[in-house]
Amino acid sequence: MAIDTARVEKIRRRPVDGLAFKRLMEAGLTWLRTNQQIVNSLNVFPVPDGDTGTNMTLTLQAAWNEIKDKGTHHLGEMAAAFSKGALMGARGNSGVISSQILRGFSRGVHDRETLDLESFVRALGEARDTAYKGVVKPVEGTILTVIKETANAAEAGVGSVKDAIELLELVVRAADESVKRTPELLPILKQAGVVDSGGKGLFFFLEGMLRHVYGESLETPTVSVQPISAMDLQGALEEVEEGQDYEVVVDFVPSGELDLHGFYGKLEEMGTSIQVGEGDGMYRMHIHVPTEKRYEPIDYIMGIGTVTKVAIENLMAQMDDIQKSKASQVSFADVEPGNIAVVVVSPGAGISRIFASLGVAAVVAGGQTMNPSTQDILGSFENLPTDKVIILPNNKNIVMAANQAKEVTVKSVQVVPTRTVPQGLAAMLSFDPDGDVEAVAAKMNRAMNNVKTGEITVATRSVEIDGVIVRDGQVIALLDGKLVASADTVEHGLFELLEKAEAGEHEIVTLFFGEDMTHAEANRIADAVRKKYSNLEVEVQEGGQPHYQFILSIE
Amino acid sequence: MGDEMTSLGGIHISPNAVATIAYQATLQSYGVVGLAPKNLADGIVSTITREPSRGISVHYKDDEIHIDVHIIVEYGTRINSVAESVANTVRFHVEKALGLRVQSVNVHVAGLRISNTD
Repeated sequence: MAIDTARVEKIRRRPVDGLAFKRLMEAGLTWLRTNQQIVNSLNVFPVPDGDTGTNMTLTLQAAWNEIKDKGTHHLGEMAAAFSKGALMGARGNSGVISSQILRGFSRGVHDRETLDLESFVRALGEARDTAYKGVVKPVEGTILTVIKETANAAEAGVGSVKDAIELLELVVRAADESVKRTPELLPILKQAGVVDSGGKGLFFFLEGMLRHVYGESLETPTVSVQPISAMDLQGALEEVEEGQDYEVVVDFVPSGELDLHGFYGKLEEMGTSIQVGEGDGMYRMHIHVPTEKRYEPIDYIMGIGTVTKVAIENLMAQMDDIQKSKASQVSFADVEPGNIAVVVVSPGAGISRIFASLGVAAVVAGGQTMNPSTQDILGSFENLPTDKVIILPNNKNIVMAANQAKEVTVKSVQVVPTRTVPQGLAAMLSFDPDGDVEAVAAKMNRAMNNVKTGEITVATRSVEIDGVIVRDGQVIALLDGKLVASADTVEHGLFELLEKAEAGEHEIVTLFFGEDMTHAEANRIADAVRKKYSNLEVEVQEGGQPHYQFILSIE
Repeated sequence: MGDEMTSLGGIHISPNAVATIAYQATLQSYGVVGLAPKNLADGIVSTITREPSRGISVHYKDDEIHIDVHIIVEYGTRINSVAESVANTVRFHVEKALGLRVQSVNVHVAGLRISNTD
């Protein structure tokens, strides 16, 4: 994108008064809005600042609304009005900090008719100081660091620039570099492979002003280089075109500044579904190409930088896999409006399928070490076309979250406090979708106690409970949540468990085997059980749950 | 709450421990310049305290965790945005550390600090 030098010279000659400042603010806002999705995609925390890009854009929009009809030439007055609008419209954490930055800036120029080098630098310093005054323990690697380093760079570099435009160039460069360093200061950013979202938002705001001076477009994002974490490679898979049989993904570090336009142009000659992502000092390129061209993108990129990682995949084979996994997906019962819907928490795919076959309307993944949140549970039934819902938590640690989901929804929810999967299955057997929700829940509540639950797992540390001595790594058996035996093999543990459960007195045992166990091994153990307990009916089901080699339902 | 039964025994987390997590989270929240004593009779509003139990109270009721945070906010920031962000941050950090759900975080803005004039 070429810089309009005639325009830059024209702007350079004019003083930056209130009206010029107003145009700069509008440019910053417009550019931020254009790029707000990029900023949003950088979020690493689920809270506290949901969508940073949106929050900052709305904050600056409120600031803009305050000055859009204002015609004053006085810089200080214009800046004060802008700052006031930002304060009143501040949304989210990043919005509040932005409003403080603008407040400091406006204080720095409050008595100025026009912006000169000295007041520009002073205002940036005020912006930094005001921003830092708003917090006791500043977290570095955030927008605070970016305004600090930017203001520091302006103070250090002011001697080497001729005018406000050159200073703005310096400021934008400093902000860009500061944003890139944020992952070094804040580990969570580094883990997520992103830069700080608020800092990036501030950078776009500043860069928009410079683009306005250069006469560059503010409406279309430069070229779509996105953070690597935001690349939608899964989605790209769904757009496979005829003849583009290979997916090539290359991670690389360009040897110089990457010319994005040339880069895209070259890639477009080779294939489709081009995506380029940037993060942590490296780039990731994704493309779909025909079989005979599958090495071309790699050769090309090796010429412009250092390739760190290459992945080539045959898309047609991947598509087959996707079809297969779609086929094995569980299909749930359709809920008739007005009927009761049951949602269950399930620790494994096999168990989900069994629940689905019993008429469950939705499943929330979760179990022993992965308790779903209230929100997860809520999300499973909020969109079902009925007001009557029964939740089966199937784990004692999830009962509470289920109860909370009941509290926060407007739907009529009953929680049947099943503590184990077998209890949930037993409860499900007496489910009636047409009945009264409380009566049905009461019936299920009674039914869940008709089974005993056995669990076989491996101890994670040595301990002695209820007279049972367990060494780290030993197999342990639990009956209705109580430790009843320890053993050296799964098979022995299972037999101990059946003995403690007085299996001889019961009729049916169902073994749900876990993800670490094969079908053949489970069947072999089941045969051994059948041999010992000839009166017992033994069923084997694939549970797919983690950690537990077996979950047993004993009826 | 604060109590969790495992197959190996019980875990109890004291309200004070929860308060310390909430305290750290509050001080990192933008716009908060200090915590205030819960009870205004204890001191003047502007008394900024570094003792977590003075600005934060945690109570367990039945199976629920409730947290009250008494903050002093920087004058010139949008107070409800700051308070909302404190509530979110405290909830996030406490839930992350405890693995338990926090039922409510009530933020009380006890005062404002004016650090400089516009």
